Amino acid sequence: MIGSNEITSRHDRITLLQLQQRVQSLVAVPETQNVWVTAELSDVAERGGHCYLELIQKDHDGITALAKARAMIWANNWRYISADFQNQTGQRFATGLKVMVRVSASYHPLYGMSLVISAVDPRYTMGDLLQRRREILARLKAMGVLEMNRSLDFPSPTLRIAVVSAPGAAGFGDFVNQLYRSNDLRIRFTVRLFESVMQGEKAPRSIIDSLGRIAIQADQWDCVVIIRGGGSTSDLSAFEDFCLAEAVANCPLPVIVGIGHERDVTVLDYVARERVKTPTAAAELLTAMAAGHLEHLRDIANGVLRITADCIGGAERQLALAGSMLSLAPESAVSRAQQRLTGALLSLGGISSRVLTPQHMRINSLLHGMHSAVGMLLQRRTSRLASMAELLAALSPEATLRRGYSITRVAGRCVTDASSLAPGTEIETLLKNGTIISSISSTSQTEKS
Amino acid sequence: MIDVKDLTYSQAVGELEGILRKMQSDDCDIDSLAAMTRRAAELLAECRSRLTATDEELRAILATVNPQQQQ
Repeated sequence: MIGSNEITSRHDRITLLQLQQRVQSLVAVPETQNVWVTAELSDVAERGGHCYLELIQKDHDGITALAKARAMIWANNWRYISADFQNQTGQRFATGLKVMVRVSASYHPLYGMSLVISAVDPRYTMGDLLQRRREILARLKAMGVLEMNRSLDFPSPTLRIAVVSAPGAAGFGDFVNQLYRSNDLRIRFTVRLFESVMQGEKAPRSIIDSLGRIAIQADQWDCVVIIRGGGSTSDLSAFEDFCLAEAVANCPLPVIVGIGHERDVTVLDYVARERVKTPTAAAELLTAMAAGHLEHLRDIANGVLRITADCIGGAERQLALAGSMLSLAPESAVSRAQQRLTGALLSLGGISSRVLTPQHMRINSLLHGMHSAVGMLLQRRTSRLASMAELLAALSPEATLRRGYSITRVAGRCVTDASSLAPGTEIETLLKNGTIISSISSTSQTEKS
Repeated sequence: MIDVKDLTYSQAVGELEGILRKMQSDDCDIDSLAAMTRRAAELLAECRSRLTATDEELRAILATVNPQQQQ
């Protein structure tokens, strides 16, 4: 029971500040000063040149936090520590790493407990995480699978994407959003989510299972994208897993890993075909590859177009030249032919006057000559015929008969020899006028002189 | 000549590159040029259509991969 009398009666009461100052003095004992401590880094951030972070110790399961403390490295120390750490380990002094640090606990009445780090031993970090990673990589190399996924080519084109991620996670949303909504080129991506646990100790097994499911239908996909959203990244050590690294290296499809931010490196980054910082960057990589294909198509199209245009242009110029010549050619050909014809005609005319006229004249004179020759011939023949007709008339039997001669016939034949005739033969005597029929009584021969 | 639909993307692009090389190297014969250009156009259209989609097609694809709908 708390009563007002009790409170007012306490004379040994102190103020909050006084209490805090007591704690402060209790904390600032040699046992808490400059002590080497091992822990895991988380939420490492730089502000105003100072480094603020949290040191965490986890249970063996790697999830449950057993201890947690705010810590800082003041700017004067931070400059040296960060440079030295990166030099020695090849890693940035960043969340997720296991470290050994020299700390002094301090208590501030306003800000509470914090650990001021004055030194870091990089050998511890290397001896832990990096050493483990190196061992994993060395084992994969010895098995001959280290470079297997890295040496795969992305199919041409890479459009069908099997995504290994947590359902509903911001990482997958970012990826899909970048792939489709920011897709000015309208690339025909096909995406399917193969749901996996992406945090904690169950993550490796779950991701390996998803990779197995994808491998069974590898012909349906062009590549695998393993993505996880940002946020607290202190459990990246789940990805430092030999079996998972082996599964990624053995994946028949090229794998893109984007499981954290730039500062987070896991063993998967060494075995996957590509590593990107974020799910968005994974989508950008795929879009850029597709854009490259489109660009290539555009180059070919431009090449074909240019050559075609050049070729057709050349042919057109050739045609135009031929055309202009064609329009002139017939005219000149016709006029040439006309000239030839005219020349032929002219020379023909010359030939006719030169050759035909004398021939004409010759024919004419021939005709004329023939005409008069025929006339004279006819005249001569006519007068000859006339004298012959006169002679004929004088020699004709009628004329002889008129002069008192007669013709004796026997059986129609003229008789000129009396000895051939027998007495009694009937003879016919023709006179100028009339005929005498008589019989022969005797014949006598005329004396030949 | 194989139907462009039966070619893989790589085969189609390979044929396109071959056509371009041929057009670049040969002294341009206008008869074969027409055939080559026609084939190239066919191949280009097919390759483009495999790479890209219309807005409607993209919306349909997106509907199947929406993370909210997966749940």
